Amino acid sequence: MNAHQATGRVTEDELHAYVDGQLDGNRRLAVERWLAEDPEAARRAEDYRAQAVLLHEMFDIVLREPASDTVQELSDRLKGRIAFNDNRPAWHARPLVRFAAAVMLVVAGATGGWMGRGVDQQAGAPVAQQRQTLATFAQEATQAHRFYTSDERFQVELGADNQDELNGWLSKRMGRDVFGPDLGRVGYRLIGGRSLPTDLGAGAQYMYANDGNKRITLFVGAPQSGNQSNFSFTQNGDVATFYWVEGPLAYALAGRLSKEELLEIAKAVYQDVKAGPPRREPPPEQQQQQQQQPQPQQQDHPPGVQPISDTQKAKES
Amino acid sequence: MSKFGVDLEVHIASLRRYARALLRNSADAEDLVQEALTRAVARADSFQAGTNLRAWLFTILHNVHVNQVRSKAARPQEVDVADVESKLVSPPRQEERVELREMMRAVDELPEEQRKVLLLVALEGLKYDEVADMLGVPIGTVMSRLSRAREAVRAKLANEGGVTLRRVK
Repeated sequence: MNAHQATGRVTEDELHAYVDGQLDGNRRLAVERWLAEDPEAARRAEDYRAQAVLLHEMFDIVLREPASDTVQELSDRLKGRIAFNDNRPAWHARPLVRFAAAVMLVVAGATGGWMGRGVDQQAGAPVAQQRQTLATFAQEATQAHRFYTSDERFQVELGADNQDELNGWLSKRMGRDVFGPDLGRVGYRLIGGRSLPTDLGAGAQYMYANDGNKRITLFVGAPQSGNQSNFSFTQNGDVATFYWVEGPLAYALAGRLSKEELLEIAKAVYQDVKAGPPRREPPPEQQQQQQQQPQPQQQDHPPGVQPISDTQKAKES
Repeated sequence: MSKFGVDLEVHIASLRRYARALLRNSADAEDLVQEALTRAVARADSFQAGTNLRAWLFTILHNVHVNQVRSKAARPQEVDVADVESKLVSPPRQEERVELREMMRAVDELPEEQRKVLLLVALEGLKYDEVADMLGVPIGTVMSRLSRAREAVRAKLANEGGVTLRRVK
């Protein structure tokens, strides 16, 4: 295999390594260039990724099932035997931690090849890299949406009965001020939120429901490069996602809705986020940015870069 | 916060998912994980601090599985695919179900050596060299099994909608 030359021909193995996130930065760019020019190869990569998504849909349910008592006990014993640096044995026994671990696995697994992209931000074209990071982010948001709307028991970690408490708690987790916008004017009410551990740092997921119990989620994260961007759209199976960057935070709104329906809600979120949290003065720089409000715009195929996650075949809407 | 605690939780959750995907039966899968963890506890002293805990655990699980298959070879079990499917798939909406069922069948029909590689890489996110070490095969073998598995599944999913045989294994 003639790897390790940015101009070298892409090999079969590299296509797999690309899909599996096991390629270094230079070769990844070479594969992306190839995929942009070779629709058949792009379809294969997309199909391979879709297979991984299906595998997760089939088997991630195991992560939500409690382990047998024996397995649990053995896990704890193993931890005791090799937990050389762990002097806080009570901590890992908390169910929330177990669940957070399972979620980390879901998110890391589901995003597959896109994880670790943040590591070599400096290499390659920054704009393309940022798009990729955002595509990763959108993918995580979509998967988190799928995961938490699939089982009502786990839909939120903290309810929205006390929104200040919810926002304060998530802001603390994220290390930044975040809040769940009021979407009452588009028919959705906040039901709660959760903090999600991802490889790119803590993320916050707010969940909303309408009167028909249709649920949408707003995923907020802190990308490494935070330039403003237009709305981007991605469709993964039946889940539609709009994502964009505003100030230091990236937002992804996901739902099983048509693109048009979701766009209306995304605009409402955008305006609310612009206006800042309720009962708080927006910082001055945010008011200045009001002038350059980006127009919603579709970016399904950025030139030269064709994130696989953006080319999943759209169905049902 | 102890990173180790979370890591171990993640790895064990991963082992359980892989075991289920491989065996397709929740009791058998839990038994396999249980036996692997029993062995891991017994051999914990042989684990070198700072080395790859996940690979270590998966290798133990793999070896236990190989031994189980060997000892069970004399008394094969028959499981109807349809029976297992209904237990595995979470109550989904109609359109998802068909796709998942096709995928399930396509994966089931893979030779075990290909199925293992596909699950380890695409579901569990193991590195190619970890899979090679774990299975005791060259990395080139891992790549060719992966490639064949993905193309076989792809071909089957492309035929989706055609008449497919319900296989009993």
